[in-house]
Amino acid sequence: MANMPPMQSFPELLKKLWQRLGSMSLAIILLMVLAIASVIGTVLLQNQNQTDYLQQFGPLWYWVFRSLGLFDMYHTWWFITLLGFLMVSLSSCLWRNVPKFTKEMRARKGTISARALARMKLQEQWPLTSDISIDSLQETFRSRLYGWEFKQTEENGVHYVRADKGRFQKVGYISVHSAMLIILIGGWMSVEFGFRGNMAVPEGAKGHTIEFLKGTDTATLDMPFEVRCNSFVIDFFPTGAPKEFRSNLTIIDDGKEVLTTDIIVNEPLLYKDVYIYQASFGDGGSDITFKLYNMDGTAETRTAKTSVYKSWTDEKTDITLKVTDFKPYNVENMANPGEPVNFKDLGPSVIYEIRGPGLKPAKIKAYMNPFFDIKGKNMGSWLQVSLTGDAADFQSVGLGLDLTNPQEWKLFHAFMSHLSTTDVTQEKTKRMRSAFKMAMQDVFGDERPENFQEMAVRTMEAMQTLPQIPWPYIPMLDDYTHVYYTGLQLAKDPGMNVVWVGSGILVIGLCIMFYMPHRKLWLVIRPENDGITVVFAGLTNRNHMAFKQTFNDLFTQFDQDFKPKI
Amino acid sequence: MTSSTAEISFYSSMNAGRIALMRFYAYIGLALGIAGLAMYGQSGYNEDAFLYQILSMQGLIWGGTGALLGSGVAMIVSAMKPAMLQGKVAGNTVPWFDGMLLMVTLAVIAAQFEPAREFITYEDQSNLLAPSIVMTMNMLLVFSAVTYIAYLFAPAEFIGRLATGTAYLGVFAAGTALLLRWHESYLFDMEIGHAPVSNLYEVFIFMFIITAAVYLSFERRYNARAMGAFVMSIVAAGVFFGIWLDSVGQGLIKPLVPALQSYWMKIHVPMNFVGYGSFAVACGAGMAYLVRYRLEAKGGTAKMLAVFPSLEQLDQLAYKAVAVGFPAFTLATILGAAWAAEAWGGYWSWDPKETWALIVWLVYGAYLHARVSHGWHGKALAWWAVAGFLVTVFCFLGVNMYLSGLHSYGRLT
Ligand code: HEM
Repeated sequence: MANMPPMQSFPELLKKLWQRLGSMSLAIILLMVLAIASVIGTVLLQNQNQTDYLQQFGPLWYWVFRSLGLFDMYHTWWFITLLGFLMVSLSSCLWRNVPKFTKEMRARKGTISARALARMKLQEQWPLTSDISIDSLQETFRSRLYGWEFKQTEENGVHYVRADKGRFQKVGYISVHSAMLIILIGGWMSVEFGFRGNMAVPEGAKGHTIEFLKGTDTATLDMPFEVRCNSFVIDFFPTGAPKEFRSNLTIIDDGKEVLTTDIIVNEPLLYKDVYIYQASFGDGGSDITFKLYNMDGTAETRTAKTSVYKSWTDEKTDITLKVTDFKPYNVENMANPGEPVNFKDLGPSVIYEIRGPGLKPAKIKAYMNPFFDIKGKNMGSWLQVSLTGDAADFQSVGLGLDLTNPQEWKLFHAFMSHLSTTDVTQEKTKRMRSAFKMAMQDVFGDERPENFQEMAVRTMEAMQTLPQIPWPYIPMLDDYTHVYYTGLQLAKDPGMNVVWVGSGILVIGLCIMFYMPHRKLWLVIRPENDGITVVFAGLTNRNHMAFKQTFNDLFTQFDQDFKPKI
Repeated sequence: MTSSTAEISFYSSMNAGRIALMRFYAYIGLALGIAGLAMYGQSGYNEDAFLYQILSMQGLIWGGTGALLGSGVAMIVSAMKPAMLQGKVAGNTVPWFDGMLLMVTLAVIAAQFEPAREFITYEDQSNLLAPSIVMTMNMLLVFSAVTYIAYLFAPAEFIGRLATGTAYLGVFAAGTALLLRWHESYLFDMEIGHAPVSNLYEVFIFMFIITAAVYLSFERRYNARAMGAFVMSIVAAGVFFGIWLDSVGQGLIKPLVPALQSYWMKIHVPMNFVGYGSFAVACGAGMAYLVRYRLEAKGGTAKMLAVFPSLEQLDQLAYKAVAVGFPAFTLATILGAAWAAEAWGGYWSWDPKETWALIVWLVYGAYLHARVSHGWHGKALAWWAVAGFLVTVFCFLGVNMYLSGLHSYGRLT
């Protein structure tokens, strides 16, 4: 038992621990552990739907990950503890080093001991004759060094000139490490006293509650004012890509309209310490009018009025149309692969789900306008149908007819009825031609429209496609009143300015640390019996290579300077 | 006097003393003049066409006045305080400014050979000039890498100079191409025009410039030519990646999505790539260290060893590169946070790109501490520099390819 270390008192242990926390090896470990921990949160998508996680990882791993908080990793107790450790460690190393470094910076010994001098790698010396004046040597030394601080001393007959550059380099160390502390404190203030959440406000409506994620749940918070969205506008580039999202907002405080202004992405609004950002947009519940084209051969149509995010149920057939989205523009690249891009707006479209007794549910995107091919030829009205409900599985379905022209719908039915009464023994093309002629007569009389040939092609096409439609009617987009919602993000961040201050100090500190190394040069002039010995020596704490070059350049110059002029 | 010493003495006299000082102040004056134009100029700063504001008569007047005033100040001050002429900062920085000025001049000349405006369409960008300059750059940089490698095995002065020369030419081609591309984006439409740092393809070219330029400055100052084989190989690998990016349509000029329409883009993105480029140089130095270490351990080919800088020097060079990259990367991350604060409503969202930037930063931070503390020595640190760059590559490529997030406009295809 003799080797057992003496018992330490509790305060002593604490002191040891404090010092250990401020050790460089702990700093390295902490930085690497933080780096590795951060990776997890980028590989595992954060804050997703819990059922998605369950599906992805299976029950076992789901529970393991969940109990470690990996689905909201950056807010778990253990990650925050790591950051806390970093703060403690930073404080401890500052605590230990600041007094040491400030003392070092203040005390500037003009002399240098022979031992210390001998240890310096960079040094040169000249034996000179005693007729050279010591003053002139010192003067030459000083004049060659621009921007250096000098300290001149004499001790025991030996003359010293000490030159310093970057004497305050350690200020860099202090700045960098305290800046990190400041930034971490600012971050903590942001989390503790700030908020950030989203608010969707339809055009013409008001909002005053934000939603945000708290852990893995959604929470809400009321703002001390209301925001009204007066309008939301999208501007486009000539290429059709969106150029600008702009909301016109009015702030209503205590029932009074206090200000009205526009915000765009990158240009938020500040009101009562709350920043209001343009974050997203979507359909704000546009009014939609469908025209239902009956598939029973009666040529009848009906209209149905509803709006986005609502369902319309037909009492007669029990069919439900659930409208999920509306788009006023559909800019698409019309070029074939490999050809130059050619953007075109295909016009408004509505997306809805159709369900009904005995029907396979389907997701449909119905366009208001007929499809025009690249040459501008009218290919008739069209839909995109997805039987899985997934937008990736949309298949284009051309209906043949241009349903925006009511006469074409009539023409089709007239044609079908004439076709059924023609003489079946006749050749098929002949039958069709005569049926079409009669249908034209029925619909247009003697004034045939100019493009009747195209209509004929479309009618033949419709004869193929329309019978394949499984629904009792086709709901097409007939009319709409478009309303956007603007997706706002509201945030208050009292720690932000603290973070900026810390960041500024951090960058300045880094520059001092890396680019203003503390360099020291000495000129030691020692009178000897039969002359004088001049020693030139140098030391730096960073960037040794550059300093070596500087030192050698100076040496060459001094070598010339100190040589007795003949 | 041989031609090469004549060249060197001309070069060093240009970059020392009064000439360097006056030039240095002239450049500072120029920059201040242009900043003045942005703040107080007739029509103020125009986000959509600042390039042309600089290149207009107005820009010439503001910038030129600034430059003249700057050099005047330098003349007076240096006459009053001759010791100033001993300073190193001016001499070390003017070559960089000279290079930039040369790039601008080259780009302005090249712009005169662009097809007429009516032949330029957004839909078909094949008749523009910048892509062929990029092709030239690709060839120069790859050639330079190959020549640097050849120099390791056949260290003839001629081969070394060829490698260095083509690397310089490659840098100038890259700079010219980027500046020209900036101009070209405006040829389609004033609204489409934007600084050429908006997608991976453009930013890659920028990174070649930084990596090669940082390396070349080391080569000039510390005579570290053997390192070029490693650094320029990294650049050459980037060149091939850039060619692939172009082949999948990333090389086309596209309008900016609203989130990127901010002056922050012009400072945040280049600053980031100053960091990445320097880390690439550190990686090159680390690789050179490891190779030399192997060679020494095998006690082998003294001929190759003779061209390598010493282990000590390589170690220092890796540190120097990190010392350039780390503050730049720190600043870039902070600028990114400032932009995020303005555009997304929060300076830090733990978005994958942000988080990876933090990871890169932590890795190099730990590297710097490991250097200062005892127990870590050359070889381990060399590995660290190499591994750190792999993390960096993941940060600017891997994140875009594999992880989704708010930075998704950097997405591939
Ligand atoms: C995120 C946090 C930190 C950052 C960004 C940081 C940054 C730096 C940098 C850039 C250097 C300069 C290295 C060089 O000159 O090559 C440095 C040095 C140093 N750091 Fe840190 N550091 C951090 C945390 C810590 C911690 C927690 C400690 C305490 C244990 C610490 C102790 C030191 C010490 C003692 C030095 C050497 C100073 C000198 O001798 O000049 N650092 N740090």
